[in-house]
Amino acid sequence: MTAFLLRRLVRFLVVCVGVSVVTFAILHASGDPVALIMPEAPKADRAVLRRALGLHDPLPVQFVRFVTHAARGDFGQSFFHREPAFRLVLERMPTTLTLTVLSLAFALAVALPVGVLSAVRRNSLLDQAATVAVFLGQSMPVFWTGIMLILLFAVHWRLLPVSGWTSWSSVVLPTVTLGAFSAPLLLRIVRSSMLEVIGLDYVRTARAKGVPERWVIWRHALTNAALPLVTVLGLQFGLLLGGAVITESVFAVPGVGRLIVGAIRQLDFPVVQAGVFLLAMIVVTVNFVVDLLYVYLNPQIRLR
Amino acid sequence: MVRSPLRALALGSLVGILVLAGVLAPAGALASGPAGAQTRDTLTVALVSHAPTLDPHMHFERVGILVNINMFDSLLHKNARLEYEPSLATSWRALSDTVWEFKLRQGVRFHNGDLLTAEDVKFSFERVLEPGKEKKRSPQYGNVRAIKEVRIVGPDTVHLVTDRPFPLLLERLVFFPIVPRRHIEKVGDEAFGTTAPVGTGPWKFVEWKRDQHIRLEAFDQHWRGRPPFRYLVIRAIPEMATQVAELKTGGVDIIRNVPADLVPDLRAHPQTFVSTAPILRTHYVHFDMRATPVNNKLVRQAANYAIDREAIIQKMMGGLGRVMATTVHPAAFGYDPTVTPYPYDPKKARELLAKAGYPNGVDITLHSAFVEFRPVFEAIAQMLTEVGIRTTPRLWDPGPAWNKFLQGEGKATHGYYGSWGYYSVFDADAILHPLYHTEPGSWIGKWYTRIEGLDALIDEGRSTLDQARRKRVYAQIQRILKEEAPNIFLWHQYDVLGISRRVEYAARGDEWLWLFDARPRR
Repeated sequence: MTAFLLRRLVRFLVVCVGVSVVTFAILHASGDPVALIMPEAPKADRAVLRRALGLHDPLPVQFVRFVTHAARGDFGQSFFHREPAFRLVLERMPTTLTLTVLSLAFALAVALPVGVLSAVRRNSLLDQAATVAVFLGQSMPVFWTGIMLILLFAVHWRLLPVSGWTSWSSVVLPTVTLGAFSAPLLLRIVRSSMLEVIGLDYVRTARAKGVPERWVIWRHALTNAALPLVTVLGLQFGLLLGGAVITESVFAVPGVGRLIVGAIRQLDFPVVQAGVFLLAMIVVTVNFVVDLLYVYLNPQIRLR
Repeated sequence: MVRSPLRALALGSLVGILVLAGVLAPAGALASGPAGAQTRDTLTVALVSHAPTLDPHMHFERVGILVNINMFDSLLHKNARLEYEPSLATSWRALSDTVWEFKLRQGVRFHNGDLLTAEDVKFSFERVLEPGKEKKRSPQYGNVRAIKEVRIVGPDTVHLVTDRPFPLLLERLVFFPIVPRRHIEKVGDEAFGTTAPVGTGPWKFVEWKRDQHIRLEAFDQHWRGRPPFRYLVIRAIPEMATQVAELKTGGVDIIRNVPADLVPDLRAHPQTFVSTAPILRTHYVHFDMRATPVNNKLVRQAANYAIDREAIIQKMMGGLGRVMATTVHPAAFGYDPTVTPYPYDPKKARELLAKAGYPNGVDITLHSAFVEFRPVFEAIAQMLTEVGIRTTPRLWDPGPAWNKFLQGEGKATHGYYGSWGYYSVFDADAILHPLYHTEPGSWIGKWYTRIEGLDALIDEGRSTLDQARRKRVYAQIQRILKEEAPNIFLWHQYDVLGISRRVEYAARGDEWLWLFDARPRR
């Protein structure tokens, strides 16, 4: 157990360093923020600003400074907002996490029952309808789904607000949009792993000894079928955080994604670095939790 | 039981996530504030984003200026016909080429109750000018840098002293908000820009939720009287399709920069209308006059004959543009209507090209970072190609583009397609100096433009207050520009507002949202 946790800690640190190297490198290759901040200024004025922003040092020096400061939670001042970048990101993180968790919950609430049922009643009308829905769902880009949902539910039927993040009703459309992006994959996983499991001996045994069918499916079969699902859930969480970037822009949700998109456009390095770093840490943590869940779901798995 | 602690840990994590979601959801989601439905006395405007600060001197963002002007007053104002009107200054006159006198309005109160004084005016300018300091904090410094000194000569009289004759002074003062000295010294700059902005304008600050909305309330003691709408809400909605949906459902009342393809939809919708006004934003292709073959005047003229401007405006911009003869805008001081646009004449273009020594055509590359006008850029390249100027259009992200064709001294390029908004200054100098002057302080001109004698004329135009003389100089410059064709001259844009039918308001030629003029429709 301790060894496992230690190994995980090492891996965690490796990911941290990896993420910071990659974001740092990509950002600095993407352009000169000084030219964007003051496009019309003479060279001398630019040099002053470059020095003020710490962009005049050689890249390795900048990188070491970035890492040592980041370790203390200091990602520097935002070039644009003139506030600590980390604070800007933290302020918006609850909104993004809420959106992501709710979307995943929504996706699961759809995928679990429909997936199980279409496995149990294979080739039924429901199963075929689900297959079509999966196909459609996977081919619809998030921004398109979002705009379609706005047009239908907000503009045409006037059931929900168009955008914003001010009431529970305004949370519905972004959640469904983002959830609809993840539900098809989850549904497919549930269905295929259920199909694998319900043919196995222990299920037949359960049935033979007279366990009610409902209990067989939802308790005996699903528990085992859930393992791949949990893996995918962990991965989906990261994907959804990424999807939240687009969803937040479409629905004017004040989250981290929108902040990062704006920051990329303005080449606001500290904000992008702080945002990407924090999101990466969340993904790593979630996947760690997923590993622990394996043990709970399948006692045969030993953590090494 | 080796497993049980792990099991507990796993369960604990799961429960933790759920609790986290439960706790965070209300905190993150349920901020109090304006939801979709509107009350009659609230006017809601959508902008793509908020500026980083509400401090009117510490940013240079259009979205910030549009909010600031409704909270702060400047010395001068412009009405909807773009004529000067008294604001915090009731009268003004030039005492000499470099000294201007302003009489201040008496009895004006700031939102916190303080009386406006000449001290506040002096403080406001010095806050931006920061005399004696090497590095200036305000990005607006360049706008007013010509002001050398602010002299208080009486309780209601202020003199602005410029370091040279500065004909653009009045234009610059239309957006130069006056801020309260005592208040700022008390609360500090940071609070002034975020939680405690105080001005003399029609609306006062209530709250700012980042990336969501800024909420303002009418200031009862405003010197113009109370604005027709009690509350003003400025929402940040980045996506245009979402803004349009909000407008149709009454979630917002005014949206800006409606793309041409959405205009017919909003015109036809029962609850919305579209208001347009010609604006200063001027499109052009700027040639790098040092590069072959566009160092040849005949090639540049040929390019001007090759473009069917009217077709592009009608077919690709929904008719929302007007052809220009040069880059000097019809609404700018110094415009000369006797200089006429190049006609569309592809035959003439081919002849000129042959005369220039390219009977079989020539290859050039044009760059652009004008992402919203990508199809127009491609149409221009196609039209040039058709007369023999075979053009490769290259579109860049705005960031890398600066490096490519501005910072890199315009290397590897024959020119770029872009636009210039005059910084909302209605004067020929506002485009002539940055585009064509070759001194280091100019913008692109120092790299791209090579026209003998033009620098001296631009200098002459900006160094006298004698408006008749300035007009003559600018007329001469426009004739030179048309002949030398440093650009493909194109058109200027329109401001396009989508407005709810419950509101009466019209787009302005300076792209301002002066919402004191907005009123509920009965």
